[in-house]
Amino acid sequence: MSDTPFVVVENLYFSRGDTEIFRGVDLSIPRGKITAIMGPSGTGKTTLLKLIGGQLTPDSGRVLIGGEDVHSQSRRALFAMRRRMGMLFQSGALFSDLSVFENVAFPLRVHTDLPEAMIRDLVLMKLEAVGLRGARELMPAELSGGMARRVALARAMALDPELILYDEPFVGQDPISMGVLVQLIKRLNEALGLTSIVVSHDIKETLTIADYVYVIADGKVMAHGTPRNLDVDQDPRVSQFVHGEPDGPVPFHYPAADFHTDILDAGGRR
Amino acid sequence: MITRIMSLGRRGCDLLEALGRAGIFVAQSAVGVPSREGWHLWVRQMHFVGVLSLAIVLVSGLFIGMVLALQGYTLLVDFGAEQALGQMVALSLLRELAPVVAALLFAGRAGSALTAEIGLMKATEQLSSMEMIGVDPLRRVVAPRLWAGFVTLPLLTIGFSVVGIYGGYLVGVEWLGVFEGSYWGNMQSSVEFVGDVGNGLIKSLVFAVVVTWIAVFQGYDLVPTSEGISRATTRTVVYSSLAVLGLDFVLTAVMFGGLS
Repeated sequence: MSDTPFVVVENLYFSRGDTEIFRGVDLSIPRGKITAIMGPSGTGKTTLLKLIGGQLTPDSGRVLIGGEDVHSQSRRALFAMRRRMGMLFQSGALFSDLSVFENVAFPLRVHTDLPEAMIRDLVLMKLEAVGLRGARELMPAELSGGMARRVALARAMALDPELILYDEPFVGQDPISMGVLVQLIKRLNEALGLTSIVVSHDIKETLTIADYVYVIADGKVMAHGTPRNLDVDQDPRVSQFVHGEPDGPVPFHYPAADFHTDILDAGGRR
Repeated sequence: MITRIMSLGRRGCDLLEALGRAGIFVAQSAVGVPSREGWHLWVRQMHFVGVLSLAIVLVSGLFIGMVLALQGYTLLVDFGAEQALGQMVALSLLRELAPVVAALLFAGRAGSALTAEIGLMKATEQLSSMEMIGVDPLRRVVAPRLWAGFVTLPLLTIGFSVVGIYGGYLVGVEWLGVFEGSYWGNMQSSVEFVGDVGNGLIKSLVFAVVVTWIAVFQGYDLVPTSEGISRATTRTVVYSSLAVLGLDFVLTAVMFGGLS
């Protein structure tokens, strides 16, 4: 593992309305590795990515990328900083009025003055890397979910970023697309020397590619370590999550009154 | 009682906050004046909000002009003043009906579409992904739409007036037999370029700013769910219509009501 972390999250607090989402989160993301951020649904994993990408501002705490504080940048500087990162959204978030080719060409067109021939070559190279060179003329509405995510991955890589943020890359994928995505993330990270942050709750797939894992629950980092360490972790909460047990310290039931009382003493109430 | 006062105060604060957000939003967006690179985006939006609204605006203008002439004629003929028909049709259209009706139609046709389009881009994370690519959606998505609205509504209003006056001519002169010379002559002698045409255009420019602002802000600020999009689209049409009618009264009072 590299000595200097590329992304550092320090004592991060964030709340939405009255709901506290993070209460002092600390992360250290090493350069050139795949770091997974895992945790049950609703723990704010996507929110954490948006905080790292500067789309949300924390109540307190800092996010440093390459030593620069994301949230103390001016709007212009922040947009410049984002050119060094790519983000893969859960839905793919392709621009629906542009073809696959134009979607991947978009970052190149707005941020570079490259001639058209070179843009074409670069786009075809990126599409070849995700196996969709043949789909370049299709519109986003004509793609399957897995294909859309691969196109989005090609677009996120278009400017050769140093950091890629993956938001739930495996959700809703069939086993074949899932396998393809797992391989792609791993291969691209190795080939391009990227730093990757994968937010996911798909334990099996994520643990196979991650170099380091943070588990987040109740607004804090509950555990962290290599996938092997987490697999043998004795903490019942970590164990429940990593082994996918339905009930345990994280309850199956949403907090409610006693079941029998609820059924028998309803008196017409809902 | 205290709770009511508190909730009233909270609503007041929410309203002020929303107005503040809308103000900052439009200020940040409107600085994105179409540049050389953004030219094609602007032209595309002008086509979308302007050219595609042309049919509904022109057809409505024609019918409103025709109805005005018909109604005006039945009234004026009792006083033997049907020669003043051209003047009546032109002044009603230029001062009031063209700016107001074109703005209402624009809010329904283009405003609601702008809200739904931007809202759907937000709901499908296209705006977020644009931000993460390092492109400011306020400049790339909102500014061209805002400026397209500012420019096209006054142009549509001019089209509305021209077609409406022609509609009045068709009914008044061609059908009901008003003397053609008096239809155009009275119009020429009574319509002032600055006082009537100019003020009508100022009105339509004000409506253009307000309607487009409401439409793009509602789209950008909505809750990104299907219900949120439907509510925001409705709000665009309702708020725009009320704002246009309310502002029309104020502007009319200032321009023609002797308040100036």
